[in-house]
Amino acid sequence: MASCTVQKPLYSWEKYEKASYAYLKNSDDESTQNLIENYEKIIDQQSGTRNVPPPGICADYAFVLLEMGKTDKGKELLQREIELYPESRIFIERILKMLDR
Amino acid sequence: MKIRSIILLVGILFLAGCSTTSKIPKSEAYKGIYDEMPVTILIMPPINRSTAVEAKEYFFVTLNVPLINKGYYVLPPFITMDILKRESAYDAELFINGSLSKFGEIFGADIALFTIIESWDKSAIGSFVKVGVEYLAKSTKTNEVLYSRKGTISYDASISTGVGGVFGALADLAASAINTAATEYVDVARACNNYTLGDFPSGKYSPTFKLDGVEMAGKNDFKVTIK
Repeated sequence: MASCTVQKPLYSWEKYEKASYAYLKNSDDESTQNLIENYEKIIDQQSGTRNVPPPGICADYAFVLLEMGKTDKGKELLQREIELYPESRIFIERILKMLDR
Repeated sequence: MKIRSIILLVGILFLAGCSTTSKIPKSEAYKGIYDEMPVTILIMPPINRSTAVEAKEYFFVTLNVPLINKGYYVLPPFITMDILKRESAYDAELFINGSLSKFGEIFGADIALFTIIESWDKSAIGSFVKVGVEYLAKSTKTNEVLYSRKGTISYDASISTGVGGVFGALADLAASAINTAATEYVDVARACNNYTLGDFPSGKYSPTFKLDGVEMAGKNDFKVTIK
């Protein structure tokens, strides 16, 4: 029965999955804006027990911004992903190098 | 309606006791995970063998959250998808039986998670979706399968209007049709992923990391109804 114990979640997610789906499906202004709002809430109003943004969120937010041409903020968020999760370094540094090319 | 209610009741009772466990502890069922202690997971694009083309996307957007909630670092899905497409590696079927070391090198991934959607059947009337799906987490170092589960998940996406009688039943039917026609299928995939990946041993960001090996593992091959 140990597995039945409910633990407080490590992270809070807002409506992340549905916002991601709408963006994947449409990639229009409305779905992009909605996904950005979700990312910002997940990053700035995090209420999970770890009290930090979940893995990958800063990096995927960076990706959406890079697609919009917002390179500086995108790169900043990629650096934040490495600071939060050093195991992301191999991959994220590869992306940063691609951007500098 | 009566039969449906009975099926649902059985399903709810089934889940209420968390009783779909095997008689094997997680430390034995998922020995490879406890030995390798993976940190980073790469979600491979789901392999869709069902007739529902859209099922791949429903799964893709709902696979990272349950593993992140378990305490793992899951590589960002949108960037990795972009890189996999650029590298012509978006068809996971090409890699499932091959060497995964490149994914370790490029992405820093310890595990590549493969999902195979075997079937995605919607009921003609009502709002049941029955999904057949298999999950395989493979080590990028040894190519060994560290975690595998396969199951049939029946999901009831209906919502109740709370109106009784014949008209209530009709109202329920209409509301459910609207409900399932919209993006509620994301909920179906989420339920499948949460249920099946919910058995994954805890990762390094979880307070139960290295402590859950004594818990009983879920059944490797299962059938479940979720509402």
